[in-house]
Amino acid sequence: MTAALAINWVGLGTMVRREASRMMRVPIQVFIAPWISALLFIFIFGYVVGGRIATIAGHRYLEFVLPGILMMNIVNSSFLQSSSQVYFSRFQRYVEEILVAPLSYVEMIAGSLAVVVARTTVTAIGILLMGLAFGVTAMHSLPEFLFWIVAISISFGLLGIIIGLWAKNFEQLNVLTVFFIAPLSMVGGVFNTIGMLPKFLRWLAYLNPFFYFSTGLRHAMIGFSEGGEAIGIAVTLGLMTTLALIVWRLYAVGWGLRE
Amino acid sequence: MSDALSISNLRKVYRGGVVGVDNVSFRVARGDFFGFLGPNGAGKSTTIHCITGIATITSGVIEVFGVDVVGRYREARRLIGLSAQEFNVYTFATCADILDWSASYFGIPKGERRKRVADMLERFGLAEHAKKEFRQLSGGLKRRLVLARALVHDPELLILDEPTAGVDVELRHELWEFLRELNRAGKTIFLTSHYLEEVAQLCRTIAIVSNGKLARLASRDDYLRDGGLEAAYLAAAGRKPVLMRSNDDNTDDTR
Repeated sequence: MTAALAINWVGLGTMVRREASRMMRVPIQVFIAPWISALLFIFIFGYVVGGRIATIAGHRYLEFVLPGILMMNIVNSSFLQSSSQVYFSRFQRYVEEILVAPLSYVEMIAGSLAVVVARTTVTAIGILLMGLAFGVTAMHSLPEFLFWIVAISISFGLLGIIIGLWAKNFEQLNVLTVFFIAPLSMVGGVFNTIGMLPKFLRWLAYLNPFFYFSTGLRHAMIGFSEGGEAIGIAVTLGLMTTLALIVWRLYAVGWGLRE
Repeated sequence: MSDALSISNLRKVYRGGVVGVDNVSFRVARGDFFGFLGPNGAGKSTTIHCITGIATITSGVIEVFGVDVVGRYREARRLIGLSAQEFNVYTFATCADILDWSASYFGIPKGERRKRVADMLERFGLAEHAKKEFRQLSGGLKRRLVLARALVHDPELLILDEPTAGVDVELRHELWEFLRELNRAGKTIFLTSHYLEEVAQLCRTIAIVSNGKLARLASRDDYLRDGGLEAAYLAAAGRKPVLMRSNDDNTDDTR
Protein backbone atom coordinates (compact mmCIF):
# COMPACT_ATOMS: atom_id res chain seq x y z
CA MET A 1 0.00 0.00 0.00
CA THR A 2 1.44 3.40 -0.93
CA ALA A 3 1.90 6.13 1.65
CA ALA A 4 -0.84 8.15 -0.05
CA LEU A 5 -3.41 5.43 0.50
CA ALA A 6 -2.29 4.21 3.93
CA ILE A 7 -4.55 5.09 6.82
CA ASN A 8 -3.08 7.69 9.18
CA TRP A 9 -3.94 5.74 12.34
CA VAL A 10 -1.89 8.00 14.60
CA GLY A 11 -3.67 11.10 13.31
CA LEU A 12 -7.05 9.43 13.43
CA GLY A 13 -6.46 8.28 17.02
CA THR A 14 -5.45 11.81 17.99
CA MET A 15 -8.62 13.31 16.52
CA VAL A 16 -10.55 10.97 18.81
CA ARG A 17 -8.27 11.74 21.78
CA ARG A 18 -8.61 15.50 21.30
CA GLU A 19 -12.38 15.40 20.96
CA ALA A 20 -12.69 13.07 23.96
CA SER A 21 -10.67 15.58 25.99
CA ARG A 22 -13.03 18.39 24.86
CA MET A 23 -16.04 16.24 25.73
CA MET A 24 -14.71 15.37 29.18
CA ARG A 25 -14.54 19.06 30.08
CA VAL A 26 -18.34 18.97 30.34
CA PRO A 27 -19.18 15.52 31.82
CA ILE A 28 -22.42 16.74 33.42
CA GLN A 29 -23.79 17.87 30.06
CA VAL A 30 -22.44 14.81 28.23
CA PHE A 31 -23.34 11.93 30.54
CA ILE A 32 -25.05 13.00 33.74
CA ALA A 33 -27.85 14.99 32.03
CA PRO A 34 -29.14 12.09 29.86
CA TRP A 35 -28.85 9.66 32.77
CA ILE A 36 -30.82 11.96 35.09
CA SER A 37 -33.40 12.51 32.36
CA ALA A 38 -33.78 8.71 31.94
CA LEU A 39 -34.02 8.29 35.71
CA LEU A 40 -36.84 10.85 35.84
CA PHE A 41 -38.69 9.04 33.05
CA ILE A 42 -38.29 5.77 34.99
CA PHE A 43 -39.74 7.43 38.10
CA ILE A 44 -42.63 9.16 36.28
CA PHE A 45 -43.62 6.28 34.01
CA GLY A 46 -42.77 3.56 36.48
CA TYR A 47 -44.26 4.86 39.70
CA VAL A 48 -46.50 7.83 38.89
CA VAL A 49 -48.18 7.31 35.50
CA GLY A 50 -47.27 3.69 34.79
CA GLY A 51 -49.41 2.24 37.58
CA ARG A 52 -52.53 3.70 35.99
CA ILE A 53 -51.86 2.33 32.50
CA ALA A 54 -52.67 -1.23 31.55
CA THR A 55 -49.89 -3.46 30.21
CA ILE A 56 -49.04 -3.31 26.52
CA ALA A 57 -48.70 -6.74 24.88
CA GLY A 58 -47.95 -8.21 28.28
CA HIS A 59 -45.30 -5.62 29.18
CA ARG A 60 -45.52 -2.99 31.88
CA TYR A 61 -45.77 0.54 30.47
CA LEU A 62 -42.25 1.47 31.64
CA GLU A 63 -40.80 -1.63 29.99
CA PHE A 64 -42.50 -0.54 26.77
CA VAL A 65 -41.37 3.09 27.01
CA LEU A 66 -37.76 2.73 28.21
CA PRO A 67 -36.24 1.63 24.83
CA GLY A 68 -37.76 4.72 23.20
CA ILE A 69 -36.40 6.94 25.95
CA LEU A 70 -32.99 5.40 25.43
CA MET A 71 -33.35 6.04 21.69
CA MET A 72 -34.23 9.73 22.22
CA ASN A 73 -31.19 10.16 24.45
CA ILE A 74 -28.74 8.63 22.00
CA VAL A 75 -30.26 10.61 19.11
CA ASN A 76 -29.71 13.82 21.09
CA SER A 77 -26.25 12.84 22.29
CA SER A 78 -24.98 11.87 18.85
CA PHE A 79 -26.43 14.94 17.15
CA LEU A 80 -25.14 17.36 19.81
CA GLN A 81 -21.70 15.75 19.87
CA SER A 82 -20.96 16.01 16.17
CA SER A 83 -22.73 19.30 15.47
CA SER A 84 -20.99 21.10 18.34
CA GLN A 85 -17.64 19.50 17.51
CA VAL A 86 -17.75 20.67 13.89
CA TYR A 87 -19.31 24.06 14.66
CA PHE A 88 -16.86 25.01 17.45
CA SER A 89 -13.85 23.86 15.47
CA ARG A 90 -14.97 26.21 12.69
CA PHE A 91 -15.92 29.00 15.09
CA GLN A 92 -12.56 28.93 16.88
CA ARG A 93 -10.76 28.07 13.62
CA TYR A 94 -8.92 25.07 15.07
CA VAL A 95 -10.43 23.04 12.23
CA GLU A 96 -7.50 24.49 10.25
CA GLU A 97 -5.17 22.22 12.25
CA ILE A 98 -6.92 19.28 10.65
CA LEU A 99 -7.25 20.86 7.21
CA VAL A 100 -3.48 21.41 6.88
CA ALA A 101 -2.67 17.90 8.13
CA PRO A 102 -2.23 14.83 5.91
CA LEU A 103 -5.62 13.39 6.85
CA SER A 104 -8.08 12.17 4.23
CA TYR A 105 -11.72 13.26 4.26
CA VAL A 106 -12.76 9.76 5.28
CA GLU A 107 -10.35 9.89 8.23
CA MET A 108 -11.70 13.29 9.29
CA ILE A 109 -15.28 11.99 9.20
CA ALA A 110 -14.37 8.68 10.86
CA GLY A 111 -12.56 10.57 13.64
CA SER A 112 -15.67 12.62 14.39
CA LEU A 113 -17.99 9.61 14.29
CA ALA A 114 -15.77 7.44 16.51
CA VAL A 115 -16.24 9.94 19.35
CA VAL A 116 -19.98 10.10 18.68
CA VAL A 117 -20.30 6.31 18.93
CA ALA A 118 -18.15 6.21 22.09
CA ARG A 119 -20.27 8.91 23.77
CA THR A 120 -23.61 7.36 22.87
CA THR A 121 -22.51 3.84 23.81
CA VAL A 122 -21.55 5.01 27.30
CA THR A 123 -24.85 6.93 27.56
CA ALA A 124 -26.84 3.89 26.38
CA ILE A 125 -25.06 1.45 28.69
CA GLY A 126 -25.73 3.80 31.63
CA ILE A 127 -29.47 3.91 30.85
CA LEU A 128 -29.57 0.16 30.22
CA LEU A 129 -27.91 -0.53 33.59
CA MET A 130 -30.43 1.74 35.30
CA GLY A 131 -33.28 -0.14 33.65
CA LEU A 132 -31.79 -3.48 34.67
CA ALA A 133 -31.20 -2.25 38.23
CA PHE A 134 -34.86 -1.23 38.55
CA GLY A 135 -35.97 -4.48 36.91
CA VAL A 136 -37.78 -2.66 34.11
CA THR A 137 -35.87 -3.92 31.10
CA ALA A 138 -33.96 -6.90 29.77
CA MET A 139 -31.53 -7.82 27.01
CA HIS A 140 -33.33 -9.91 24.44
CA SER A 141 -30.60 -9.64 21.77
CA LEU A 142 -27.22 -7.97 22.42
CA PRO A 143 -26.15 -7.93 18.71
CA GLU A 144 -29.42 -6.20 17.76
CA PHE A 145 -28.99 -3.75 20.64
CA LEU A 146 -25.44 -2.89 19.52
CA PHE A 147 -26.54 -2.60 15.90
CA TRP A 148 -29.22 -0.05 16.77
CA ILE A 149 -26.99 1.96 19.10
CA VAL A 150 -24.22 2.20 16.51
CA ALA A 151 -26.55 2.75 13.52
CA ILE A 152 -28.57 5.49 15.25
CA SER A 153 -25.38 7.15 16.53
CA ILE A 154 -23.76 7.19 13.11
CA SER A 155 -26.90 8.46 11.36
CA PHE A 156 -27.42 11.36 13.75
CA GLY A 157 -23.69 11.95 14.03
CA LEU A 158 -23.63 12.47 10.25
CA LEU A 159 -26.69 14.71 10.40
CA GLY A 160 -24.96 16.70 13.16
CA ILE A 161 -21.88 17.14 10.97
CA ILE A 162 -24.04 18.60 8.18
CA ILE A 163 -25.70 21.04 10.58
CA GLY A 164 -22.32 21.89 12.16
CA LEU A 165 -20.99 22.75 8.70
CA TRP A 166 -24.08 24.75 7.79
CA ALA A 167 -24.69 26.72 11.00
CA LYS A 168 -23.55 30.34 11.06
CA ASN A 169 -24.49 30.88 14.72
CA PHE A 170 -25.49 29.00 17.89
CA GLU A 171 -29.18 29.46 17.18
CA GLN A 172 -28.98 27.54 13.91
CA LEU A 173 -27.40 24.56 15.69
CA ASN A 174 -30.75 23.94 17.39
CA VAL A 175 -32.96 24.24 14.30
CA LEU A 176 -32.98 20.55 13.47
CA THR A 177 -33.55 19.49 17.08
CA VAL A 178 -36.50 21.84 17.56
CA PHE A 179 -38.27 21.33 14.24
CA PHE A 180 -37.35 17.79 13.28
CA ILE A 181 -35.76 15.54 15.91
CA ALA A 182 -37.97 16.39 18.90
CA PRO A 183 -41.37 16.26 17.10
CA LEU A 184 -40.61 13.13 15.06
CA SER A 185 -39.19 11.25 18.02
CA MET A 186 -42.26 12.12 20.12
CA VAL A 187 -44.63 10.72 17.49
CA GLY A 188 -42.32 7.83 16.56
CA GLY A 189 -43.91 5.17 18.73
CA VAL A 190 -41.93 5.93 21.87
CA PHE A 191 -44.96 6.33 24.15
CA ASN A 192 -47.60 4.35 22.26
CA THR A 193 -48.10 1.48 19.86
CA ILE A 194 -49.22 2.14 16.33
CA GLY A 195 -52.46 0.39 17.21
CA MET A 196 -53.24 3.20 19.67
CA LEU A 197 -53.19 5.79 16.87
CA PRO A 198 -56.34 6.68 14.91
CA LYS A 199 -56.52 4.49 11.81
CA PHE A 200 -56.07 7.38 9.37
CA LEU A 201 -52.76 8.36 11.03
CA ARG A 202 -51.15 4.92 11.23
CA TRP A 203 -49.48 5.12 7.80
CA LEU A 204 -47.64 8.22 8.98
CA ALA A 205 -45.80 6.18 11.63
CA TYR A 206 -44.36 3.91 8.94
CA LEU A 207 -42.92 6.97 7.17
CA ASN A 208 -41.22 8.11 10.35
CA PRO A 209 -37.67 6.70 10.73
CA PHE A 210 -37.89 7.19 14.51
CA PHE A 211 -40.58 4.50 14.62
CA TYR A 212 -38.08 1.97 13.25
CA PHE A 213 -35.38 3.07 15.71
CA SER A 214 -37.64 2.76 18.76
CA THR A 215 -39.28 -0.47 17.67
CA GLY A 216 -35.87 -1.94 16.75
CA LEU A 217 -34.43 -1.12 20.17
CA ARG A 218 -37.59 -2.36 21.88
CA HIS A 219 -37.23 -5.70 20.15
CA ALA A 220 -33.54 -5.87 21.09
CA MET A 221 -34.29 -5.12 24.75
CA ILE A 222 -37.63 -6.73 25.61
CA GLY A 223 -38.37 -8.83 22.52
CA PHE A 224 -41.55 -6.93 21.61
CA SER A 225 -42.04 -5.65 18.10
CA GLU A 226 -44.84 -4.17 16.05
CA GLY A 227 -43.25 -5.63 12.93
CA GLY A 228 -41.21 -4.10 10.17
CA GLU A 229 -37.75 -5.04 11.56
CA ALA A 230 -36.38 -5.85 8.11
CA ILE A 231 -37.77 -2.59 6.68
CA GLY A 232 -36.35 -0.76 9.70
CA ILE A 233 -32.85 -2.16 9.14
CA ALA A 234 -33.05 -1.35 5.42
CA VAL A 235 -34.32 2.20 6.09
CA THR A 236 -31.58 2.82 8.67
CA LEU A 237 -28.78 1.44 6.48
CA GLY A 238 -30.12 3.47 3.54
CA LEU A 239 -30.29 6.64 5.66
CA MET A 240 -26.77 6.05 7.00
CA THR A 241 -25.31 5.45 3.53
CA THR A 242 -27.04 8.49 2.03
CA LEU A 243 -25.90 10.77 4.84
CA ALA A 244 -22.35 9.36 4.68
CA LEU A 245 -22.14 10.10 0.96
CA ILE A 246 -23.48 13.63 1.47
CA VAL A 247 -20.99 14.33 4.27
CA TRP A 248 -18.08 12.86 2.27
CA ARG A 249 -19.02 15.08 -0.68
CA LEU A 250 -19.27 18.17 1.54
CA TYR A 251 -15.80 17.49 2.94
CA ALA A 252 -14.41 16.87 -0.55
CA VAL A 253 -15.67 20.23 -1.86
CA GLY A 254 -14.85 21.94 1.44
CA TRP A 255 -18.41 23.24 2.02
CA GLY A 256 -18.45 25.14 5.30
CA LEU A 257 -14.88 24.01 6.01
CA ARG A 258 -12.56 25.58 3.50
CA GLU A 259 -12.69 29.18 2.31
CA MET B 1 15.17 19.34 -9.36
CA SER B 2 11.71 20.80 -8.65
CA ASP B 3 11.24 24.11 -6.85
CA ALA B 4 10.16 24.22 -3.23
CA LEU B 5 7.00 25.98 -4.32
CA SER B 6 5.58 26.52 -7.77
CA ILE B 7 2.39 28.51 -8.33
CA SER B 8 0.97 28.70 -11.85
CA ASN B 9 -1.96 30.93 -12.82
CA LEU B 10 -3.52 30.77 -9.38
CA ARG B 11 -6.96 32.30 -9.21
CA LYS B 12 -9.19 32.33 -6.17
CA VAL B 13 -12.72 33.69 -6.33
CA TYR B 14 -14.75 33.67 -3.14
CA ARG B 15 -18.46 33.04 -2.94
CA GLY B 16 -20.14 36.28 -3.92
CA GLY B 17 -17.61 36.90 -6.67
CA VAL B 18 -14.85 38.62 -4.67
CA VAL B 19 -11.52 37.90 -6.35
CA GLY B 20 -8.87 37.08 -3.73
CA VAL B 21 -6.03 36.16 -6.06
CA ASP B 22 -6.01 36.81 -9.79
CA ASN B 23 -3.76 34.80 -12.10
CA VAL B 24 -0.68 34.78 -9.89
CA SER B 25 2.39 32.76 -10.90
CA PHE B 26 5.79 32.53 -9.22
CA ARG B 27 8.35 30.05 -7.96
CA VAL B 28 10.29 29.71 -4.76
CA ALA B 29 13.65 27.96 -5.08
CA ARG B 30 14.69 25.27 -2.61
CA GLY B 31 16.46 26.75 0.39
CA ASP B 32 15.29 30.30 -0.38
CA PHE B 33 14.09 32.77 2.23
CA PHE B 34 11.15 34.24 0.33
CA GLY B 35 9.25 37.37 1.35
CA PHE B 36 5.65 37.90 0.30
CA LEU B 37 4.52 41.47 0.78
CA GLY B 38 1.41 43.45 0.14
CA PRO B 39 -1.14 45.72 1.79
CA ASN B 40 -4.12 44.34 3.74
CA GLY B 41 -6.48 42.47 1.44
CA ALA B 42 -3.85 42.14 -1.31
CA GLY B 43 -4.14 38.34 -1.41
CA LYS B 44 -1.23 37.22 0.80
CA SER B 45 -3.21 35.10 3.25
CA THR B 46 -5.48 33.85 0.46
CA THR B 47 -2.42 32.56 -1.42
CA ILE B 48 -1.15 30.87 1.75
CA HIS B 49 -4.56 29.34 2.40
CA CYS B 50 -4.61 27.95 -1.14
CA ILE B 51 -1.14 26.43 -0.68
CA THR B 52 -2.00 24.81 2.64
CA GLY B 53 -5.53 23.59 1.89
CA ILE B 54 -7.42 26.02 4.11
CA ALA B 55 -8.97 27.51 0.96
CA THR B 56 -10.04 25.79 -2.24
CA ILE B 57 -8.43 26.83 -5.51
CA THR B 58 -10.69 28.24 -8.24
CA SER B 59 -8.14 27.57 -10.99
CA GLY B 60 -4.40 27.14 -11.42
CA VAL B 61 -1.83 24.71 -10.09
CA ILE B 62 0.24 24.74 -6.92
CA GLU B 63 3.07 22.29 -6.38
CA VAL B 64 5.24 21.84 -3.31
CA PHE B 65 8.53 20.10 -4.15
CA GLY B 66 6.82 18.85 -7.32
CA VAL B 67 3.77 17.49 -5.46
CA ASP B 68 0.36 18.84 -6.51
CA VAL B 69 -1.38 20.26 -3.41
CA VAL B 70 -4.81 19.24 -4.71
CA GLY B 71 -4.27 15.92 -6.48
CA ARG B 72 -1.77 14.58 -3.92
CA TYR B 73 -2.79 16.72 -0.98
CA ARG B 74 -1.76 14.27 1.73
CA GLU B 75 1.80 14.03 0.46
CA ALA B 76 2.00 17.78 -0.11
CA ARG B 77 0.81 18.61 3.40
CA ARG B 78 3.54 16.52 5.02
CA LEU B 79 6.07 18.87 3.41
CA ILE B 80 4.48 22.08 4.73
CA GLY B 81 4.49 23.70 8.16
CA LEU B 82 2.12 26.64 8.65
CA SER B 83 2.24 29.34 11.28
CA ALA B 84 -1.06 31.10 10.62
CA GLN B 85 -1.71 34.79 11.16
CA GLU B 86 -4.68 34.14 13.42
CA PHE B 87 -4.46 31.77 16.37
CA ASN B 88 -6.23 28.68 15.02
CA VAL B 89 -5.87 26.71 18.23
CA TYR B 90 -8.21 24.89 20.61
CA THR B 91 -7.81 27.42 23.39
CA PHE B 92 -8.48 25.03 26.28
CA ALA B 93 -5.63 22.70 25.28
CA THR B 94 -2.25 22.89 26.99
CA CYS B 95 0.95 23.84 25.15
CA ALA B 96 2.23 20.25 25.37
CA ASP B 97 -1.04 18.84 24.03
CA ILE B 98 -1.19 21.31 21.14
CA LEU B 99 2.28 20.26 19.98
CA ASP B 100 1.63 16.58 20.63
CA TRP B 101 -1.67 16.59 18.74
CA SER B 102 -0.19 18.46 15.81
CA ALA B 103 2.71 16.00 15.54
CA SER B 104 0.18 13.14 15.72
CA TYR B 105 -1.87 14.50 12.83
CA PHE B 106 1.28 14.16 10.76
CA GLY B 107 1.54 10.50 11.78
CA ILE B 108 4.59 10.77 14.05
CA PRO B 109 4.66 7.80 16.46
CA LYS B 110 4.52 8.29 20.22
CA GLY B 111 8.20 7.85 21.18
CA GLU B 112 9.46 10.18 18.45
CA ARG B 113 6.66 12.63 19.23
CA ARG B 114 7.62 12.94 22.88
CA LYS B 115 11.18 13.82 21.94
CA ARG B 116 10.09 16.40 19.37
CA VAL B 117 7.56 18.02 21.68
CA ALA B 118 10.13 18.28 24.49
CA ASP B 119 12.66 19.70 22.03
CA MET B 120 10.21 22.32 20.70
CA LEU B 121 9.11 23.35 24.18
CA GLU B 122 12.75 23.79 25.16
CA ARG B 123 13.80 25.56 21.98
CA PHE B 124 10.96 28.09 22.14
CA GLY B 125 11.25 28.76 25.87
CA LEU B 126 7.88 27.11 26.54
CA ALA B 127 9.01 24.25 28.82
CA GLU B 128 7.85 25.98 32.00
CA HIS B 129 4.48 26.70 30.35
CA ALA B 130 3.96 23.16 29.02
CA LYS B 131 0.95 22.47 31.25
CA LYS B 132 -0.66 25.89 30.79
CA GLU B 133 -3.70 26.20 28.58
CA PHE B 134 -3.30 28.26 25.40
CA ARG B 135 -5.75 30.92 26.62
CA GLN B 136 -3.55 31.50 29.70
CA LEU B 137 -0.49 32.45 27.64
CA SER B 138 0.68 35.96 26.78
CA GLY B 139 0.58 37.13 23.15
CA GLY B 140 4.30 36.50 22.68
CA LEU B 141 4.10 32.97 24.10
CA LYS B 142 1.10 32.21 21.89
CA ARG B 143 3.07 33.33 18.84
CA ARG B 144 6.01 31.13 19.87
CA LEU B 145 3.72 28.16 20.33
CA VAL B 146 2.11 28.40 16.89
CA LEU B 147 5.58 28.67 15.38
CA ALA B 148 6.71 25.60 17.34
CA ARG B 149 3.58 23.80 16.15
CA ALA B 150 4.45 24.60 12.53
CA LEU B 151 7.87 23.02 13.01
CA VAL B 152 7.02 19.99 15.12
CA HIS B 153 6.75 17.62 12.14
CA ASP B 154 10.00 18.92 10.63
CA PRO B 155 8.55 20.31 7.35
CA GLU B 156 10.70 21.17 4.34
CA LEU B 157 8.71 24.32 3.54
CA LEU B 158 7.86 26.64 6.39
CA ILE B 159 5.08 29.14 5.73
CA LEU B 160 4.91 32.01 8.18
CA ASP B 161 1.96 34.39 7.97
CA GLU B 162 2.84 37.46 10.05
CA PRO B 163 4.88 35.42 12.56
CA THR B 164 6.02 38.41 14.60
CA ALA B 165 2.72 40.31 14.74
CA GLY B 166 2.15 41.52 18.28
CA VAL B 167 5.47 40.37 19.74
CA ASP B 168 7.98 42.63 21.46
CA VAL B 169 11.19 43.78 19.80
CA GLU B 170 13.39 41.43 21.83
CA LEU B 171 11.41 38.34 20.88
CA ARG B 172 11.18 39.49 17.30
CA HIS B 173 14.96 39.59 17.06
CA GLU B 174 15.20 36.18 18.74
CA LEU B 175 12.75 34.77 16.19
CA TRP B 176 14.68 36.33 13.31
CA GLU B 177 17.86 34.64 14.46
CA PHE B 178 16.04 31.35 14.83
CA LEU B 179 14.55 31.63 11.33
CA ARG B 180 17.96 32.43 9.85
CA GLU B 181 19.32 29.34 11.58
CA LEU B 182 16.53 27.20 10.13
CA ASN B 183 17.14 28.60 6.67
CA ARG B 184 20.88 27.94 6.95
CA ALA B 185 19.99 24.35 7.87
CA GLY B 186 18.28 24.03 4.48
CA LYS B 187 14.62 24.80 5.21
CA THR B 188 12.78 26.89 2.63
CA ILE B 189 10.93 29.75 4.30
CA PHE B 190 7.98 31.66 2.89
CA LEU B 191 7.31 34.75 4.98
CA THR B 192 4.61 37.40 4.95
CA SER B 193 4.96 40.40 7.18
CA HIS B 194 3.80 43.97 7.52
CA TYR B 195 7.24 44.91 8.82
CA LEU B 196 9.25 45.85 5.73
CA GLU B 197 12.38 45.96 7.86
CA GLU B 198 11.80 42.33 8.82
CA VAL B 199 11.45 41.22 5.20
CA ALA B 200 14.46 43.28 4.14
CA GLN B 201 16.55 41.75 6.95
CA LEU B 202 15.59 38.14 6.35
CA CYS B 203 14.50 37.51 2.76
CA ARG B 204 16.66 37.03 -0.31
CA THR B 205 13.78 37.06 -2.79
CA ILE B 206 10.73 39.27 -2.38
CA ALA B 207 7.37 39.31 -4.14
CA ILE B 208 4.90 42.17 -3.79
CA VAL B 209 1.21 41.59 -4.40
CA SER B 210 -1.48 44.18 -4.78
CA ASN B 211 -5.20 43.77 -5.52
CA GLY B 212 -4.73 40.02 -5.92
CA LYS B 213 -2.05 40.37 -8.61
CA LEU B 214 1.69 39.95 -8.51
CA ALA B 215 3.11 43.48 -8.78
CA ARG B 216 6.83 42.72 -8.61
CA LEU B 217 9.18 39.82 -7.95
CA ALA B 218 12.89 40.49 -7.53
CA SER B 219 15.87 39.84 -5.31
CA ARG B 220 16.37 41.98 -2.23
CA ASP B 221 19.47 43.49 -3.85
CA ASP B 222 17.45 44.57 -6.87
CA TYR B 223 14.92 46.33 -4.64
CA LEU B 224 17.70 48.09 -2.76
CA ARG B 225 19.34 49.16 -6.00
CA ASP B 226 16.05 50.58 -7.30
CA GLY B 227 15.28 52.94 -4.43
CA GLY B 228 14.49 50.56 -1.59
CA LEU B 229 11.81 48.11 -0.56
CA GLU B 230 9.48 50.73 0.91
CA ALA B 231 9.34 52.73 -2.30
CA ALA B 232 8.64 49.58 -4.32
CA TYR B 233 5.97 48.52 -1.84
CA LEU B 234 4.22 51.90 -1.93
CA ALA B 235 4.43 52.03 -5.71
CA ALA B 236 2.86 48.57 -5.93
CA ALA B 237 0.11 49.66 -3.56
CA GLY B 238 -0.47 52.75 -5.70
CA ARG B 239 0.61 55.19 -3.01
CA LYS B 240 3.23 57.88 -2.79
CA PRO B 241 5.62 58.17 0.15
CA VAL B 242 4.50 60.77 2.73
CA LEU B 243 7.44 62.88 3.89
CA MET B 244 7.59 63.70 7.61
CA ARG B 245 8.01 67.38 8.44
CA SER B 246 10.58 68.37 11.01
CA ASN B 247 9.69 70.55 14.06
CA ASP B 248 11.52 73.59 12.73
CA ASP B 249 9.64 73.45 9.48
CA ASN B 250 8.45 77.02 8.83
CA THR B 251 5.74 76.10 6.43
CA ASP B 252 3.27 75.52 9.25
CA ASP B 253 -0.22 76.13 7.90
CA THR B 254 -2.19 75.59 11.11
CA ARG B 255 -2.85 79.28 11.65
